Amino acid sequence: MHFMPLAYLDPGSGSFLVQLAIAALLGLGVAFRASWSKIKGWFGVKSKSDDEDDDESAK
Amino acid sequence: MTNRPNSGQLSASFRDPSGFLFSRDGVLYRQINRVYAGEYTRLMDSGLYERLVRAGLLIPHTEANQISSESESSFKVIQPERVKFVSYPYEWSFSQLKDAALATLSIQKRALKAGMSLKDASAYNIQFVRGKATLIDTLSFETYKEGQPWVAYKQFCQHFLAPLALMALKDIRLNQLLRVYIDGVPLDLASELLPTRTKLSFGLLTHIHIHAGAQKRYAGQDVKSRRGSMSKQAMVGLIESLEATIRKLKWKPAGTEWGNYYDITNYSDLAFEHKKQLVGEWTKKLQPHLAWDLGANNGVFSRVAGESGANVVSFDIDPAAVEQNYRQVRSAKEENILPLLLDLTNPSPSIGWANRERESFGGRGPADLVLALAVIHHLAISNNVPLPQTAEFFAEAGKWLLIEFVPKSDSQVRRLLASRADIFPDYSRDGLEAAYREKFNIREAVELRESERVLYLMERK
Repeated sequence: MHFMPLAYLDPGSGSFLVQLAIAALLGLGVAFRASWSKIKGWFGVKSKSDDEDDDESAK
Repeated sequence: MTNRPNSGQLSASFRDPSGFLFSRDGVLYRQINRVYAGEYTRLMDSGLYERLVRAGLLIPHTEANQISSESESSFKVIQPERVKFVSYPYEWSFSQLKDAALATLSIQKRALKAGMSLKDASAYNIQFVRGKATLIDTLSFETYKEGQPWVAYKQFCQHFLAPLALMALKDIRLNQLLRVYIDGVPLDLASELLPTRTKLSFGLLTHIHIHAGAQKRYAGQDVKSRRGSMSKQAMVGLIESLEATIRKLKWKPAGTEWGNYYDITNYSDLAFEHKKQLVGEWTKKLQPHLAWDLGANNGVFSRVAGESGANVVSFDIDPAAVEQNYRQVRSAKEENILPLLLDLTNPSPSIGWANRERESFGGRGPADLVLALAVIHHLAISNNVPLPQTAEFFAEAGKWLLIEFVPKSDSQVRRLLASRADIFPDYSRDGLEAAYREKFNIREAVELRESERVLYLMERK
């Protein structure tokens, strides 16, 4: 892979691979949540706003 | 941040080729190198800079293009707001490190929304500015390309997740590992030290235990040529998982007089109020910019001194006291009190490359005013430091000294002497004054009401 032209940190071989594996799994969760809130949306259930995290961490 | 000889470049800022910090005529600047021009422009033009600064997550800066740069590789020079007192993760309480971690993740989430990503996640890039964990490295952002993993994942786990997990689930004192391991706690060590039950937590199992195993298994293997990419959804999942794992880590001090420090003092309300009144009057008269409260406990007198408008660094050796102090800063949104963990008998040394990356406690001084309230007996008796040496230490730490003498007749001192021989014939009011006159002019000496304690205001000679 040839991204990260500015990266000065060594991401570490093991860290790199384990991250891909864990993130793939966690990405499924994010995708599932997104579709679930869409389905809920069809039934008129309002989902949390996208900016909620921003507001919370800005306190 | 000691200056390098023959150059204004600061020695804590050399790893990242995107730019560096330098100081000129006492003002701190950051040079942005040409290689980083595109990323800087994106940070500013995308609105990300503005949003992060407004949320108190990124240090504000102004462009200082009138300043001639240090080298030909320069694209721009910026002048970031100066941090009042630089502190390090091994000096932070549990919640300070936790807030620094959550701030880093919050920044990464906002960056992703703006098409950028953090290219490092060093705890040293976070400082407490107006009481809040704030990123001080404006050059930490890079353009996010879909498919790209988080290059700072390993660093984040070492600098934040591992020490927080160890502090919360093993022993609060393990934050001191950060003093030894400047690039964060090695994950194999964290994995070994953490209780086995932490393998039942998905976050700790994956980000620490499995992560440590993978590091060992794939050490040194070439992964650059490996195929594999990470969707943006996967990246968001990873960041949210780290966030959830960290939010779940909690520490509440056990076995300490949590919340009741001043209930266990041995002197009367009248003496306590008198002490407050004198500290308030004297600091208002002195108007210090920077005050160090050494042995601050939960910060009662730091706050009295802070009423003068001073920035007060409130040091204590007890992680529970520092934790309580910080929680108060956070809940009352106090902007000028910085609680930090410090063992006065073994203060933070200068560490890192050439021993110049992270400054020692003394190297970050001197302060305008040092408060040493109810601390002299711990230094002179518990730690056997002769009084003249304590005077020398305080004289190096600050211009003015507000010190409380606690006599041998005081129950706190009697307790210290209960189990040992009294080998301190010079420990007396006269002994203290004689020792301190070598270094200071004594400006005030007031006996606290209903107490045998004496409060002094001294000015360094």
